[in-house]
Amino acid sequence: MTAIEVDRLSHIYAGAEGGVPALEDISMTVEAGKFVVIVGPSGCGKTSLLMMLAGLRHQSTGTILCDGRPITDPDPSRVGVVFQEASLFPWLTALDNTEFPLALRGTPRDERRRRAEDMLNLVGLQGFGARFPHELSGGMKQRVSIARGLVQDPPVLLMDEPFAALDEQTRMTMGHELLRIWSKTRKTVVFITHSLTEAVYLADEVLVMSARPGRIVDRIAIDLPRPRTYEMMATDTFGKLRERIWQQIRKPEGTLS
Amino acid sequence: MRRPSPSAVRWMLLAALLLLWELMPQTKIVPELFLPSLSKTLTVLWKDRVEYAENLLVTLYEVGVAMLIACGAGILVGALVGGISVLRNLMLPVFSSLYAVPIVILYPIFTAWFGIGSESKIAFAGIYGFFPVMLSTAAGIRTIDPQYMLAARSMGATLPQQIVRVIIPASIPTVLSGLRLGGALTIIGVVVSEMLTASAGIGYLVTRYRTILDSPHVFAAILMILLLSILFDLLARAVERRTLVWQTAGRRVPSAGAATSTTRMPAPAPV
Repeated sequence: MTAIEVDRLSHIYAGAEGGVPALEDISMTVEAGKFVVIVGPSGCGKTSLLMMLAGLRHQSTGTILCDGRPITDPDPSRVGVVFQEASLFPWLTALDNTEFPLALRGTPRDERRRRAEDMLNLVGLQGFGARFPHELSGGMKQRVSIARGLVQDPPVLLMDEPFAALDEQTRMTMGHELLRIWSKTRKTVVFITHSLTEAVYLADEVLVMSARPGRIVDRIAIDLPRPRTYEMMATDTFGKLRERIWQQIRKPEGTLS
Repeated sequence: MRRPSPSAVRWMLLAALLLLWELMPQTKIVPELFLPSLSKTLTVLWKDRVEYAENLLVTLYEVGVAMLIACGAGILVGALVGGISVLRNLMLPVFSSLYAVPIVILYPIFTAWFGIGSESKIAFAGIYGFFPVMLSTAAGIRTIDPQYMLAARSMGATLPQQIVRVIIPASIPTVLSGLRLGGALTIIGVVVSEMLTASAGIGYLVTRYRTILDSPHVFAAILMILLLSILFDLLARAVERRTLVWQTAGRRVPSAGAATSTTRMPAPAPV
């Protein structure tokens, strides 16, 4: 079953002389339950693409289907979003932050409490519900963000460089944790990152984007067995996959077909 | 030797200051006309307590109404100017410049318009306190992390929900500090205008007793204004502390005594 279908999506930023092309002719299909990672050089428009998948920004042309229906506005029942740091509300506790999407929809208090607690347990934060964000470490904050993204039980979870602000050790742990959570919930995940190691470690499929205007220049199936282990990072297969992505990204503009 | 805590030092400084106030005139280092002793000031204050209380009530009434105007209008206009970009570009430079104008020059006009009763004080102090409240409200709304808005929208928040659940709580810290400043300016505005032209109020007492060179009565009035300002500030701080629990919860205060520094426990199990 197809979870996300992007068809010939292009985006042009308004500006002088007809604007700046940001995304060009992006087409992609994500099967339900898959973990897809998008990598690409800085400024290639991968965050813009994710914002469009979330309905937070409108593309110039092309369509995005999620569960067979177009995405035009944010729809938290179909798509959950996890941002980079700083998107938790500092005036709410971890539990209240997790409940937030349910509170917006007017879910009864008892039910949203229960579901938020379940999510905090799932992400390994049982007992931390009463803490405010500033009392949590960077990794814990992102766990709360993930819990918040999952609390409405959307089939799709979009993640915009969620671990970019973490130190490397925490980042590796969080990647591993994310895979554990994903294997329990079987969500469709679209994950954006700068880290090639993270990409190979997490993904079923890696989409490589070119520098601006962003296009998808390669699709690499990662057929490493699951569950993934840290030891896999040292293997030849892992190194070769990583190398192939790197070759695509460092290709100078002119040599692309 | 153990270093005394900052709050202990503060209390000692205050005690020393009061002691100096008492001793300097007593020992004739400073003439009584310039500085009447603390005991004499307090005696006068007690003797004429009815007069001081009546005038204090007038001042309090003026301060109260002026604060309502300053805070209400300040928050309202600040929210509009901070939240709507057209208004912001149009008005904010004007308001920022007006803030630098010594508004006290308008006071003679206000007495002409509203008379020398409470109305002119309320109008003047209200405008005086309005600016910091309005400017900090506008700043508070303008500087909200756009990431919060993006996150709220991604979770399906409607515009009213964004306002109630994100914009208001996110701007409260800046608005509160504006209210504290605006409130203090309102007190200043009332007292200053009472000193200029009035028939009642603590500021009026200062001027009246000064003209007849009655220093103890002048200082008694000054003491009351001082206490009024300090009380207001304490109150404002308490409100800030209670409202902004999320900024400080669990954060250890380095200067706090041993009894309070380690009482934060791991979060209790969710209920």
